[in-house]
Amino acid sequence: MPASPVANSHTFAASTPSDTEIRMTRLFDAPRRLVFKAMCEPEHIRQWWGNLGEGYSVPVCEVDLRVGGAWKFVNRHPRGAAVFYGVYREIAAPDRVVFTEIYEPFPDAESVVTAVFTEEAGKTRLTATMCYPSRAVRDMVLKTGMEKGAAISYDRLDEVASRLQS
Amino acid sequence: MSTDHLSATFAALADPTRRAILATLASGECSVTALAAPFAMSLPAVSKHLRVLERAGLIARGREAQWRPCRLEAARLKEVAEWTERFRAIWERHFDSLELYLQTLQKKERTHARKSRRQ
Repeated sequence: MPASPVANSHTFAASTPSDTEIRMTRLFDAPRRLVFKAMCEPEHIRQWWGNLGEGYSVPVCEVDLRVGGAWKFVNRHPRGAAVFYGVYREIAAPDRVVFTEIYEPFPDAESVVTAVFTEEAGKTRLTATMCYPSRAVRDMVLKTGMEKGAAISYDRLDEVASRLQS
Repeated sequence: MSTDHLSATFAALADPTRRAILATLASGECSVTALAAPFAMSLPAVSKHLRVLERAGLIARGREAQWRPCRLEAARLKEVAEWTERFRAIWERHFDSLELYLQTLQKKERTHARKSRRQ
């Protein structure tokens, strides 16, 4: 795969630590408190999450950042819109945040996401572990990720193609 | 690839011994005895690992009764690699987006700090 021009891209790793989990980790060139803020505060979230280029936007980004508080994100993308929502379970800025997450088409497939922020040589490592109710659900998510990922790869192809033309 | 296939394949790949076996087979087919040699384990234990890999479609075994050479089934490994690549693509893109935003945010904070010092 060609090297991404974005800093720390190569530090990304995805794994399946157990039958019901997916874990993703990456380093960021920013202090921990900022990475935490960018993950948890709506004015920041809508600037990056789901905002992946032309045709993408985040028309709804509601966050009630307290234990038991609800959150809801809507991501408009070139092929429609995706709705995600859940409830915060644990908030320990800037170390850790735990929340539930439901992707609207699959309300029974609630996952619990644990995001941990650790300092590493002046950078911040974000480790997000998604825990699903069963292996079947986890595998379904993996498959959905694959289909979505494929669509995004085609988007990328479009970008490259249009750049070559201009 | 169906989700059942995907689960079986990921479960098979989750074990370090099985990954080491696949790495050995990447350089060509091999007998069970030869595969077992680098590991401190019995032949039946290695055979058990091979059965898991075979069920997951990651290896195939020859039909000869005595010497049943194992070989890598590259097609399945390629499917897994393609899946990982696509899954990575979507998440890498989100995380890259966060990285870029964090740089913008830090620039803003520094400018803001300079302005406040001047006042």
